[in-house]
Amino acid sequence: MRFAITMLCFIGIASVIGTILKQNEPYENYIIKFGQFWFEFFEAMGLYNVYQAFWFLLILIFLIISTSFCVSRNSPKILKEYKKFQLNARERSLKSFKHSYEIPVKKFSTSKLEKLLTENKFRLKKQTNKNGDLIISAKKGDLQKLGYIFTHLAIIIISIGGLMDGNLVLKMQELSGSKQIIYEDLALNDVPETGKLTNSNFSYRAQMLLREGEKQSVAVLKAKEGYFIQDLPFIVGLNDFRIEHYSTGQPKSFESDLIVEDKETGELIKKTINVNSPLTFNGITIYQSSFEDGGTELSLDVWNLHSAEETSKMESIIFKKNELVVNNQNYFFEFNDFRKFNILDIEIGNEKKPTNVGPSFIYKVRNESGQAKEYQTYQYPMIIDNSSYFVSGMRKTPQEDYQYLKLPADANGEINGFMIFRELLHSPQILNNAIKRVVAQSFPEGGEKSQIYFEGVDRVLSGFIEGGYSQIAESIDTTLPIEDQERIANSYIKIIFLVGKELITIYELNNIEADNFLFESNHKFVQESLTGFNDSFFYGLPIFLELKNYVHVQSSGLQLTKSPGQFWVYLGSILLVLGIFCMIYIQEVRLWILKKKDNKDILLALTTNRHRLEFDQFALKISQLMKKTFN
Amino acid sequence: MIFKKIFNYLFIVSMLMLPALGLFKFHQYMDYYEMFILVGTGLTFIWMSNYWQSFKYLVTSVLALSFISIFLYEGNLLSGEEQFILKYFLSSQSAIMWMCSLYPLSLLMYWFYLLKKQAFFGNFASQLTWIATAMGFIGLLVRWFESYLISIDVGHIPISNLYEVFVLFCLITALLHLYYEEKMNRKELGAFVLIIITVAVGFILWYTFSKGADAIQPLVPALQSYWMKIHVPANFIGYGAFAIAAMISIAYLLADKGILRSRLPSLIILDDLTYKAIAIGFIFFTIATILGAVWAAEAWGGYWSWDPKETWALIVWLNYAGWLHLRLVKGLRGPMLAWWSVIGLVITTFAFLGVNLFLSGLHSYGEL
Ligand code: HEM
Repeated sequence: MRFAITMLCFIGIASVIGTILKQNEPYENYIIKFGQFWFEFFEAMGLYNVYQAFWFLLILIFLIISTSFCVSRNSPKILKEYKKFQLNARERSLKSFKHSYEIPVKKFSTSKLEKLLTENKFRLKKQTNKNGDLIISAKKGDLQKLGYIFTHLAIIIISIGGLMDGNLVLKMQELSGSKQIIYEDLALNDVPETGKLTNSNFSYRAQMLLREGEKQSVAVLKAKEGYFIQDLPFIVGLNDFRIEHYSTGQPKSFESDLIVEDKETGELIKKTINVNSPLTFNGITIYQSSFEDGGTELSLDVWNLHSAEETSKMESIIFKKNELVVNNQNYFFEFNDFRKFNILDIEIGNEKKPTNVGPSFIYKVRNESGQAKEYQTYQYPMIIDNSSYFVSGMRKTPQEDYQYLKLPADANGEINGFMIFRELLHSPQILNNAIKRVVAQSFPEGGEKSQIYFEGVDRVLSGFIEGGYSQIAESIDTTLPIEDQERIANSYIKIIFLVGKELITIYELNNIEADNFLFESNHKFVQESLTGFNDSFFYGLPIFLELKNYVHVQSSGLQLTKSPGQFWVYLGSILLVLGIFCMIYIQEVRLWILKKKDNKDILLALTTNRHRLEFDQFALKISQLMKKTFN
Repeated sequence: MIFKKIFNYLFIVSMLMLPALGLFKFHQYMDYYEMFILVGTGLTFIWMSNYWQSFKYLVTSVLALSFISIFLYEGNLLSGEEQFILKYFLSSQSAIMWMCSLYPLSLLMYWFYLLKKQAFFGNFASQLTWIATAMGFIGLLVRWFESYLISIDVGHIPISNLYEVFVLFCLITALLHLYYEEKMNRKELGAFVLIIITVAVGFILWYTFSKGADAIQPLVPALQSYWMKIHVPANFIGYGAFAIAAMISIAYLLADKGILRSRLPSLIILDDLTYKAIAIGFIFFTIATILGAVWAAEAWGGYWSWDPKETWALIVWLNYAGWLHLRLVKGLRGPMLAWWSVIGLVITTFAFLGVNLFLSGLHSYGEL
């Protein structure tokens, strides 16, 4: 018993360690956390996967053995006790019981006594001794003792079931060298035999990532930092993967339409699985466990932000790379993810509410020197502070928050309006006209002053177009006295704004059909466009990618579990509950009645192995019943 | 007497009829398990109220008031803000707030009773606890209904996040307490049991007002299972019983040191009650853990994944198995076991709350 309890304490402590130390993380995380020395020490102790560590399994085995010994030693005794009635009780010892009653009898009848006892659920045996004394031995609640066998047998069965589902066999194979973990990314054909597990593998929990429309007949079994390839007795095909959403946008269900084909018999099964309803086939259960993008195809428009260039097209696929030359610079694109739904807290009325803002795609852009920035660009405009913007986030490291570039949507909710505006800024002829119109407002009659003014405005705008407000600010800082700086800066901003407005007016005069700027007033749009244009200098990329179209392809992450021990664990669990019920709620009672030949009265004695308050009352009740019966 | 008899018959009839009516009207929305749970609930209530008359009154008033509330809603969630009775009394939020204010009050009354020994205070405290419990159950039932008013697909039983299960914890602990109180016919222990309930109420209030936790959220896919309807309540019967055991153990330890000794029940009775509470808790906790394993086998792909919550459930279980061994096998009694059961509550609380706070895992339904 002491041994078993020590083992149990060990299991308890190990379990606690397993919950405090995050299990199965990438090893780098542990190295960062503990340093090289402790990392290796903990690794040797198997602390990154406590529950599959050798010593943990060893403790489990010891527990099974010790509990088995305990049960096998005690059970025969208990079974014997079940049959045995102690008929050799002495008067003296019965009288010494705590619950012992002398009951006066007027007219004794054995059958009445037996009836009373059986009515109270006692089993009994009686015997008349040589001296003519009648002794009755009765008992009830024997199941309490069986409870001991049930619970402890249950512990054994559950532990064995658990061990069956552990990876003990694989561990042995690893030790003997017949199986080896693969640490590199290999094509299926290149995987050596030692890295493949056949169908005969007794139990496993393996993963499979399936693209829509794809089929696979092997799964991946993760092990430490590497993996094994697990062969399956069937081929799994994914027809479709769906995510459904609540109206608030939170995910409601993940579903995969599967086709499973038995390799031997060719038997086909079609089933839709989701998170709480897996598919079991040939003893292997297939679960919906995760999902990711499966290579969505994106059709993008490439807008050059810093020239009047026409748009160009770019076709890309998630997890693929693209290369692009912009303004004589090479940019390398890695498209990493596509999200069809994005739930953000958006202000609607006066309240922030989680809202689906539509698709976005996530990509990294590397320049020639290898520096990368990460971008997340949304397809549709979002409402921010009562205006509608196309939004794209940029960050330099995954730890940072995104900084957002916001380009105003035009009157049609499209990006074209802003892009026209950008094109106008970059068209010298039109810009020149606009500046002239602004100058003419201040100097209607022209002259030399107006010429000077024109040159000043022209300079301000070239500065702005080259590098945004900060470029102008720089020249103000270096050329003007401090007390004038703010005033001049404000007047420059105003001038830029006026020119912007004139640009649009000119555009509208030349394109009477155009409806991009049919706002009540262009005022706000011009201001937002200028801000957007200015921010584009901090975007880290001279182009804006607009998502025009996509073909959504998803991958479903499946888990395949072969768990032959499950049956035993469940069986053991039922036994455990039964056993605990028996032990806790059944009161074992033993009772003796001695009727001496030469005595009218009878002697009643009761005992229980566990004294409880109720037993006092029970004993009293029985004695009173007897008194009543015989009086 | 005759009224009581009629009432009892009516109770049994309605416990059979209401589920039948539910089946008749709503069977197309239910799967077999849910039908089983519905009918099983009615039968369980009949069975329980056989042992416990007061339980009948509780069930009856909770159902009656919940139906009134549902009726007053007229299918419109906004009625909860506009309709007078709903706004101040029977909307789920107000009902739960009533619960939150009445439990601390009854704690106070229990202490008056413990110190003054006037029967009036004792009875008043019990009444308050009953009413608070009824309000809490009404709150949960109406919340269930409200979740369907938000949207049919959002609707779900309100035991799916930390806020809801804390309310459940208060209710179950109070019910177990009321049961023992009535069976023992002694009211002193309320002064201790209501402490833990009041602490939980404090948490609910903090959680509501600082985190807005009372908002009804739709269920994440992993929680959409009929197993939740059995697993969670079973777990909380376990937690509630362990909490009661610990509070009675505190009373035991005080009495053992001579504090309040003359006012509390005898040490033997306290010890026996602790044992009973732990026994009940152990059974339900065992069943809950097993059901959890069965559920996990269906949702996560394995009956046991050594997820922190599972692991801590095992630790709690081993702890109380140890307690029961010492008591049943070695026949140990006394302060040491009382201390053990108090520490048991600390472990249980960690499993219940600490795991959600400090450890991550698959059981991520209730984060702060
Ligand atoms: C589930 C609740 C459990 C209860 C109620 C329970 C109850 C008992 C009882 C009453 C005995 C005494 C039997 C006798 O001596 O006649 C006993 C002994 C013992 N129990 Fe448990 N047990 C439980 C779980 C466990 C567990 C989980 C283990 C660990 C594997 C365990 C290991 C033992 C051992 C080793 C003995 C001593 C047997 C001997 O050496 O005689 N029990 N238990």
